Amino acid sequence: MLTLLLWPFLACLILTGIHTYLGIHVIRRGVIFVDLALAQMAALGSTLAILSGHDLHDPAAYYYSLGMTFIGAAVFSLSRQRRERIPQEAIIGITYVVSAAAALVFLDRAPGGAEHIRSLLVGNILTVTPGEVVKTAFLYAGVGLFHWLFRRPFFIISFMPEQAAAERYRVRSWDFLFYMTFGLVVTSSVAMAGVLLVFSYLIVPAVTSLMVAEGIGARLWIGWGVGLFSSLLGLSGSVLFDTPTGASIVCAFGVLLLILMLGQWILKKTE
Amino acid sequence: MRRFKVDPSAEDYQGHLSRADLLGDLKGVVKVSPNAQSYGVPLGGGNVSHGAPLFFSILFFILQMPLFAEAAPIRVVATTEDLAAIAREIGRERVAVDFIAKGVQDPHFIEAKPSYMVKLSQADLFVQVGLELEAAWVPSLLVGARNGKIQAGAPGFVDASKGIEALEVPTGEVDRAQGDVHLQGNPHYWLDPANGKQIARNIAEGLKRIDPAGAADYEKNLAGFTERLDSALLRWREEMKPFAGAKVVTYHNSWPYFLKRFGLIAAGHVEPKPGIPPSTAHLKALINLIPREKVKVIIMEPYFDEKTPQFVAEKSGAKVVVLPPSVSAATGINDIFQLFDHLISTLAGALSGAPLK
Repeated sequence: MLTLLLWPFLACLILTGIHTYLGIHVIRRGVIFVDLALAQMAALGSTLAILSGHDLHDPAAYYYSLGMTFIGAAVFSLSRQRRERIPQEAIIGITYVVSAAAALVFLDRAPGGAEHIRSLLVGNILTVTPGEVVKTAFLYAGVGLFHWLFRRPFFIISFMPEQAAAERYRVRSWDFLFYMTFGLVVTSSVAMAGVLLVFSYLIVPAVTSLMVAEGIGARLWIGWGVGLFSSLLGLSGSVLFDTPTGASIVCAFGVLLLILMLGQWILKKTE
Repeated sequence: MRRFKVDPSAEDYQGHLSRADLLGDLKGVVKVSPNAQSYGVPLGGGNVSHGAPLFFSILFFILQMPLFAEAAPIRVVATTEDLAAIAREIGRERVAVDFIAKGVQDPHFIEAKPSYMVKLSQADLFVQVGLELEAAWVPSLLVGARNGKIQAGAPGFVDASKGIEALEVPTGEVDRAQGDVHLQGNPHYWLDPANGKQIARNIAEGLKRIDPAGAADYEKNLAGFTERLDSALLRWREEMKPFAGAKVVTYHNSWPYFLKRFGLIAAGHVEPKPGIPPSTAHLKALINLIPREKVKVIIMEPYFDEKTPQFVAEKSGAKVVVLPPSVSAATGINDIFQLFDHLISTLAGALSGAPLK
């Protein structure tokens, strides 16, 4: 049983690593659903690849997905406004819904993609292959290095955008770079773990760390801990109760968050 | 170290709710002096508080499921209950048969669960329907199970479609943009009861490969099964003879083998492309076609939503008939004889019902 879960567990580790960090940025920027929208655009890309006659597992399909993700990144970086007349979440929501509907319309012409679309939601973390895990680990290490090297600009445009503008940072360009690397990560993560699970890894550890700690260093460690613990809980639960693994991890996140919020509330009451 | 000027009296703290909130975000990454009018940004460092609960890994180890001791019977794992039922007929006491997709589930879409991996990792023989029916979920399950005995090409791997004459194999240039989901032909071949003989032969061959000592038993069971199936076939064909040539509409194109065996004709489908709702034009054409071609029934599997077929039925005068496409312990149909008994009697009843209004 342990060997069966080894590679899914390693996949969870690398997902936790990169997504906790990205989640902290995402929550600060207030674009919570951006990963759903980008994942849906990636799915639309796959559909277009099928329509052009490619197989789903061709490298071409991956590049179609990536291309659509980059278009999404451009849209989101351009739609961030100083004085928000239209909340950026509205743009993100519209992107999500329109991509999903467009995929359905195109799929009407190219059957065989329906299974793929469904599997994008659910993912297949239980049956992830060692090759996938290793490849993704290298990719995320590269992204992590990139974000570490340019941590100053990335941090400032997310947390202190006015300052960044005042200091003559090219905010839109850095925004685009952020969403591009984010899209790269999301496309690979969703292929491995599905949209629901990726969203959880992105948001829940970051939210928990925001509740509990201050400063990006502390928040990263708390977030990583929460991600690790929920993964373990979800994996074990899915084995114990024989439930779909990805969905079980998402539920574990929910349960953990609930417990932590209850704990915080109780602590406040007893102060 | 670069320094930024931030006016502490400013109301808009760059998207934060308050100065305290801004300071909270910057803690550990930005040097802040008490009445700060400027902030330096030496990123990196900050407090390290551990959230990594190492001892839960130990808990994880403890929660390992115990492996069962190797039992004497051959462990057969089939993807569907139909294959499992036939495997039981051939193997009898020599085998312990298990299956993955329940008869009440759509075999195109099965979500991987840990118990499937466990079953496969301990299997001696694996039987799949093939013809790409399970292409969305079996290959990754097999890889994940890491059982060398049952990988494709190994002695313990049985593709039950070997030797079956497939219907609706796409000819000419294979263009994914049109036509079928399945490129090797329609995979629902077990619904022609006569194909059960070939399925049984394939399973028997697989069993003989991995358990040569039982070869004589398997041959005997195969012969007995074939005989019973042949006589049952005669009976079923008698029952369906009055309806030869009748036209039906099916929900999904999963019944061609059944219809061909019993002389029925599929005049149309409700949802030809799985997962894609039919267009208004298509439904309208169907509603006009049904009375024109004297179609009496719309055949539907129980795991589909009956709203659309009911809509078509009401507008056109046909009747929706729910037919299970598979053996399923959950509904009390335990082997393929019971399955076809049920299918034939239900369909015959519906076809001989009141004519169209």
